[in-house]
Amino acid sequence: MARAPRAATSHADIPLEAAPVTAPLAGAPVRQTNLWKDAWYRYIRNRAAVVAGAVFVLLLLYCLIWPAVSPYDPNDVDFSQAREMPSLEHPFGTDTFGRDLFTRTALGGRISIGIGFAATLVILAIGVAYGSLSGFVGGRLDNGMMRFLDALYGLPYLPFAIITLAVIGDSGFWSLVIALSIASWLTTARIMRGQVMTLKQNDYVRAAHVVGARRHRVLMRHILPNTLGILVIAVFLELPGVILGEAFLSFIGLGIGPPDASWGSMAQEGYKVYRVFPLLIIIPSVAIATLILCANFIADGLRDALDPRTRET
Amino acid sequence: MTTFVLRRLVWTVPVILLVILLTFLLMRQIEGNPFRTSERAIPESIQQNLEEKYGLDDPWYVQYLRYVKGVFTLDLGPSLVLRNRDVNDIVREHFPPSLELGALAMLFALVFGVPLGMLSALRANTFFDYGAMFVSNVGFAIPSFLVATLLIYFFALEWGDIFGLPTSGWDTWQSKVLPTIALGLGPMAYFARLTRGSMLETMQQDYIRTARAKGLRWRRVVVVHTLRNSLIPVVTAAGPILGFLITGSFIIEQIFAIPGIGRYYVTAVTGRDYSVVMGLTVLLALIVIVANLVVDILYGFLDPRTRDARA
Amino acid sequence: MAVAGFAALSLAVVLTACGGGGDSGSGGEADGVITINWSSEPPSLDPGLATDTTSSNVLGNIMDGLITLEGEDLTPTPALAESWDIEGNTVTFHLSNEGRWTNGDPVTAEDFEYSWKRTISPDLAADYAYQFDGIVGATDYNSCEKNCDAMRDKVGVEAVDDRTLRVELTSPQPWFIQQVAHTSFLPVNRSAVEQFGNKWTEASNIVTNGPFKLARWDHNSRLDLVKWDEWRDADSVSLQRVNGRMITEGTTAVQAFEAGELDETGALGGLPPEELPRLQGTPEYEQSPSLGTYYYGINVDNVPDVNQRRAMALAIDRQSIIDNVAQAGQLPASGFTPEGMPGFDAINPNSEWLPASGDMERAKQLMEQVQNPVKDITLVINDAPGHREIAVAVQDMWSDLGIDVEIQQQEWAQFLEALGPPPAKTTDAYRLGWIGDFVDAFNFLELWRCDSGNNNTNYCNKDYDALVAQARNTPDDNERYDLYAQMERIMFGPDGDVPLIPIYFYTNVSLQKESIKDTFTQDLLDQIDLTKVVEGDGSGAEASG
Repeated sequence: MARAPRAATSHADIPLEAAPVTAPLAGAPVRQTNLWKDAWYRYIRNRAAVVAGAVFVLLLLYCLIWPAVSPYDPNDVDFSQAREMPSLEHPFGTDTFGRDLFTRTALGGRISIGIGFAATLVILAIGVAYGSLSGFVGGRLDNGMMRFLDALYGLPYLPFAIITLAVIGDSGFWSLVIALSIASWLTTARIMRGQVMTLKQNDYVRAAHVVGARRHRVLMRHILPNTLGILVIAVFLELPGVILGEAFLSFIGLGIGPPDASWGSMAQEGYKVYRVFPLLIIIPSVAIATLILCANFIADGLRDALDPRTRET
Repeated sequence: MTTFVLRRLVWTVPVILLVILLTFLLMRQIEGNPFRTSERAIPESIQQNLEEKYGLDDPWYVQYLRYVKGVFTLDLGPSLVLRNRDVNDIVREHFPPSLELGALAMLFALVFGVPLGMLSALRANTFFDYGAMFVSNVGFAIPSFLVATLLIYFFALEWGDIFGLPTSGWDTWQSKVLPTIALGLGPMAYFARLTRGSMLETMQQDYIRTARAKGLRWRRVVVVHTLRNSLIPVVTAAGPILGFLITGSFIIEQIFAIPGIGRYYVTAVTGRDYSVVMGLTVLLALIVIVANLVVDILYGFLDPRTRDARA
Repeated sequence: MAVAGFAALSLAVVLTACGGGGDSGSGGEADGVITINWSSEPPSLDPGLATDTTSSNVLGNIMDGLITLEGEDLTPTPALAESWDIEGNTVTFHLSNEGRWTNGDPVTAEDFEYSWKRTISPDLAADYAYQFDGIVGATDYNSCEKNCDAMRDKVGVEAVDDRTLRVELTSPQPWFIQQVAHTSFLPVNRSAVEQFGNKWTEASNIVTNGPFKLARWDHNSRLDLVKWDEWRDADSVSLQRVNGRMITEGTTAVQAFEAGELDETGALGGLPPEELPRLQGTPEYEQSPSLGTYYYGINVDNVPDVNQRRAMALAIDRQSIIDNVAQAGQLPASGFTPEGMPGFDAINPNSEWLPASGDMERAKQLMEQVQNPVKDITLVINDAPGHREIAVAVQDMWSDLGIDVEIQQQEWAQFLEALGPPPAKTTDAYRLGWIGDFVDAFNFLELWRCDSGNNNTNYCNKDYDALVAQARNTPDDNERYDLYAQMERIMFGPDGDVPLIPIYFYTNVSLQKESIKDTFTQDLLDQIDLTKVVEGDGSGAEASG
């Protein structure tokens, strides 16, 4: 396989469409394999992205596995153990109620990351559906849909999240997911539309038309798989925004209720005692920051690996 | 160009109508009674009187139309919770601090972020670059409430005597320093990364190489050609960011006790003050639209190709 | 270029903004000037519409009423009313001739008649119109739909002449005199109200008659008071000016105090419970009792077995909550009427169901006797500071009884909907507090009448209601205390129904600079009398406010 020349900024020069094309129309996406393998090699060369990826995976494992094996009940109130500094028994110390912070942070991570991924997926689902429909059909429908999209751009993100939460009535997991995704899918839709429109012009797609492949088949078989790369990148780009959004909502008290906690609600509790026990605000904030950092580096790495020419702003 | 601007301005009207409609419908769905402020129950007769007084017993479309008319005559109605004040008063008193905070944070982000990004790009892959990008990434990732907390703790409390910065408020210029930094740090980091990436990419472009090959002075090349083109993504990002700064600053406002729109908004939603919520949402939407419009115009200046493509 | 343009624009904004810097009002720059924290924007300074503590505190200092409450026992003391007579259901106030408005008008009995009727009127739609329910004709006028002017004339408040105000009550109501000291009974200036309408309370329009004037009101930001030298007793007032910030966020307020930007904080907004252990050792810390009870109400339709309710009450370790969560030296509640209420010793049932440190063993025993125990309880709380932590502690305590508690934290408006009355079907238990309006246990105990708008428990006991009605007609204090004691026993005695679980009696906590600490006091009804505050050595020199 050809190795891309090493550029100082790792802006290798292999555009998406120029990957070896031998796909028979009906067929197996052979080029996909080449594309992904290619991308993987490029990704690995980016040290920051690799480290970020590893940390991210570790974080996920910690949040998923630790609460199941932890010897501590995260909801057990024991005032005699309140606010202890980190020790061997409590690697992160304990909180105001004497609950083990290491376990609670993992649980909080489940919720924060869970909301993050769920909201991101919802955003992608809506954005992809909307954008690809608009871009693919084109013409007046596209025009109308884009105008409507422009209109929706006027919705201020956080205020609408707040109103949506108030409408839904409670602040559970799914309420937050809906509230956070409701105003954020717009950019994804736009990008998707742009992507679809560009690809629509490509030769192989036109060729598919000529041969008589039906429209939806063209969409599913040829266009969408090419955009998969963009979508994966989009996941890691949207994730920080959603996580921060949830943290903000929790910080003003609109987030997850007790005894569950997310990193944002833990930070709010920590803010109240930061003068005597700063650990309670630092730990969840650092957790959030770590997640965001990793997501950013992964996104950068993926972008360089998959489609170095794309500029997402 | 003028047609472009005019067309966009004309589009603002249906957008605002849509925002009003959406907010109106959403507010109607929320349970809650704007008149009941304390846990003491309101007798039925008083409740009825209040609803009559504020026209809440009319059918929804009547209320909607009345409200739309109000928006276009610039009368946003009375507050349902603060009985001695109108929404117009509230906007007039609380909007300027938020606008100012947003503008200052934006200024801070641009003034420090863009040059940082540029220098990093020019010194790509050196210690400076790594260091600057590390700081940027961290600044971007740390939630603003932690930044605010740390800033207050260190600069206003512990070292308060040295710096003379107050812990809260928004009257003297000193009180504006810490909130600006807390709010602007994230965008600053974002702009730094964006500028750096954009400059690096631009510098790879053929026409830049050509300019260098032709022997034009490096500085001129950088300033005239590279900068202008690499700023396009920055400008594009600036609009939504400015919108976000003004509409999403409520945490900073709460922590620093700044009497701005953000803090008021949360209070109004939780208090079910329908008219205030609608008035503020419309206002905030207008800001976002204006910010986007300004950006699009600037974009049109910077990149003439897009003007036609957008038609 | 674009960036430069934008930067220039922003710079212009900044430069114009920089000009507007007022004095930051740092604490105590001159004698007789203090800076306090109102902690929130007063929703209204109209006595008819003010319902919260901040408004009532501002009004209490800028307005002068018929009566004030002085001393630790809050004894009714003449203010604008020099004296009063009580004959059966009629109370007659005799006004002094020293009352003045800031616009020069004298304060007359007509002002009071006008103001009270205005608050009762259906047009104003005042939340606190119910305070006047004891006056003849008030409820009719308040709920009238037509013929309202005739109803208005029938209300039992009459200005016999400039200095005599006669009030007809529906029953003796011995606490009426206490009640008259409440904010709702303050007068308003008719010409100001008629001239400025809705906006009459703005600093530029407002007309007041009390020891301080409203000097400046930047909404949500500052509210400053300045001494009014023409007040009838101005010589006794030491402070020249009171600057007020509005910092709601507890942590921010404490920081401001510690940085010297405030002379006081917490009297009105409280202090964050988490900071209390740290602050309690400092000389600036101040704690005083307050007439209020923090309780968990139970929806008795959802939890019908009295033994379960008693068990739930027994399971709560009040002292632990006070020591570890609330942390403000509150008193564990052994009944509903709080300590500090006159007659407390006679009234308090010292309930066996409300032991200070809980009694988990007995609770478990009782729980076993319950036929169909309700194992899933939804506890509804609002999202203000402190409630969540208490709920988490209680949740843990009730889990030892085998009860699975789901805590539903809601924001205020939803929370009120969940409470009703009647409470939502899904509400099994809820958190609430009751702060006294006036100093008589009636104010607390009448809540549990069957048709009380503040009874969110579905509890209805005819005997209890009968006692309430009887108390209305019992002017003798000791007899009345005995009735109150009976009411408490119906709820919390050995055969008590326990429809609610009192947890603690409130305290007021605040931080105060040592220069004002001795004289800055907050009474049982959370009111601060700024006329009594002395700053520094009290020389009260003319300060440049």
